[in-house]
Amino acid sequence: MTAVEKVLAAKSGRNSVKPGDVVSPDPDYIMIHDGVVMAAKRELDALGITRLATPDKVMMVTDHDVIYGSARAAERGAFNRKAAAQWGVKNFFDVGRGGHGHIFPMESGLLLPGMFYFDNDRHATNAGAIGAFGFRMGTEISRVLATGTNWVMVPKTVRLTLKGRLQSGVHARDVGFHFAAMLKQEKLSADLDYRVLEYAGDLEQFDLASRAALCSTPTEIRAYGVFVPPSQAIIEHARARGQRLFTAVYSDADAAYDADLMLDISRLEPQVSLPGSVENAVDVSKVEGTVIDHAFIGSCGSGMWEDLVTAASILKGRRLAPNVRLFVAPGSETTNRRLASEGLLGIFIEAGAVMLPPGCGPCNDAVIGPVHSGEVSMSTATNNNAGRFGAKDAQLYLGSPATVAASAVAGKITDARKLN
Amino acid sequence: MSEFQWVLKGRCYKLGHDVWHAGGVVPSWIITGRHFDPKDIIPHLFEETDPGFHTRCKPGDIIVTGKNFGMGPKMNGYIAMQALGLGLVCESMPFLAYRAAIGCGVRVMTDCVNATDLCDTGDEIEVNFRDGFFINHTRDIRREYPPIPDALMEIVELGGNAGWLQQWQAKRATAVS
Repeated sequence: MTAVEKVLAAKSGRNSVKPGDVVSPDPDYIMIHDGVVMAAKRELDALGITRLATPDKVMMVTDHDVIYGSARAAERGAFNRKAAAQWGVKNFFDVGRGGHGHIFPMESGLLLPGMFYFDNDRHATNAGAIGAFGFRMGTEISRVLATGTNWVMVPKTVRLTLKGRLQSGVHARDVGFHFAAMLKQEKLSADLDYRVLEYAGDLEQFDLASRAALCSTPTEIRAYGVFVPPSQAIIEHARARGQRLFTAVYSDADAAYDADLMLDISRLEPQVSLPGSVENAVDVSKVEGTVIDHAFIGSCGSGMWEDLVTAASILKGRRLAPNVRLFVAPGSETTNRRLASEGLLGIFIEAGAVMLPPGCGPCNDAVIGPVHSGEVSMSTATNNNAGRFGAKDAQLYLGSPATVAASAVAGKITDARKLN
Repeated sequence: MSEFQWVLKGRCYKLGHDVWHAGGVVPSWIITGRHFDPKDIIPHLFEETDPGFHTRCKPGDIIVTGKNFGMGPKMNGYIAMQALGLGLVCESMPFLAYRAAIGCGVRVMTDCVNATDLCDTGDEIEVNFRDGFFINHTRDIRREYPPIPDALMEIVELGGNAGWLQQWQAKRATAVS
């Protein structure tokens, strides 16, 4: 069996499962984000369901709209706090308490290798960074809250073997952008719809933050799960912080894959995804010099400590170009505190960046730091579909934290390796 | 439960490949406006490609589509299809579109290879969604396709997730009392 098949079998009390089987796994957690609590609570209340099946497993997270830019958002925050109390949810990571739900549980040892959880949000795929699985339920999260589970059709697995080491200055996000472009250009062939993308090959070079970055782009091209087999370093991270015992899961040597792909990353250049889709990735040299107005570093793909260290190393001693506003959203409160204690916060502020609270930042429906019509943005957002964070006719480019930081300093899209 | 109608017989309404939910199934404003009441959605089902569809379709009619039907995992169009008593047969669907259709209680079969080669709009079609039979009476063609998985039949029988959850709660309340 593949890793996802093993985990779903174990959580469903079966010896084995195969793609297409329908199971009802018993999850380790059930995550619900701030934007959907109100609808789920009202739906369940209308049915007379006031008690959750497993409130101890529920994590409520305020990460999509953290600082309430509107009266409606403040009303939702108040509603959510009341809902948490009524439901008896103790793992309530409200404003200023946790950060991004797809980042801090991996950092803090809540989410561990081999785990499975349900989430309303599709970026639960980030769990693959620590060797776990998070499956998106959308509005069906209400059924999970009420009953403790929901049906899952076992997905097929596509294996992507990465060959070689990334050159200095090239980032894991660049790998994802390039992979998406290779699929679009039909230089690689696989259907990722409702598949788990499992990485293989030269993975030791990727730390937890890089693994989260590897999970990001496949999600945008319809992968339902992403899995990076945990390295010894990841296992040690989990053991050091883990709040319970865990067993890491790996695919069997004879596991069956829906497709088996190979990507040589040893000569990869920093990538930039052109506006419209993550799949529009090109070498940064193709778009160098494009003037930008807006920049953002953060999101579930690029909001971890190491991502911000990379950005800070470029911003140190420099100022943003006068034409650029840069927003930075750390992935967790822990990272935020560390930025302060280790002096990196000063680097961002001295450079002229605006620090946002830990969470999704502009990447959630432009609730904060949006772009205006006709503006050009360079960011580490999860995707650059038209209107992702503001005006539909804004031009949204994507790159790694290094490329975004360098571009914000230069005022135009820039290869961080060439920054003077 | 035994009287649930797993076999639909009616007219075929054929669509091509790559139909987006937004625009292809219902206008975008139905989705962005969060319209979930069937009476609000029904007048606009397939409005942009076939205005007045809702006045011509009848319960039992079957929509037969090409590959990638319903791109963008939205529920709105399926709510209307379920309320109108329509069936759905697709050559393929993104999985989350399929999940949304099941969750709305639509009788749906996907992975029906070359289904659009077997029929045209207006043909008399019969589909058994429980056992996986597709019959075109007009052209005297019969095929077997993957039926709705056993584990998902109860959701469809109960009209979708809302109906399923309602019954789950009713059973639990009865057990407690």
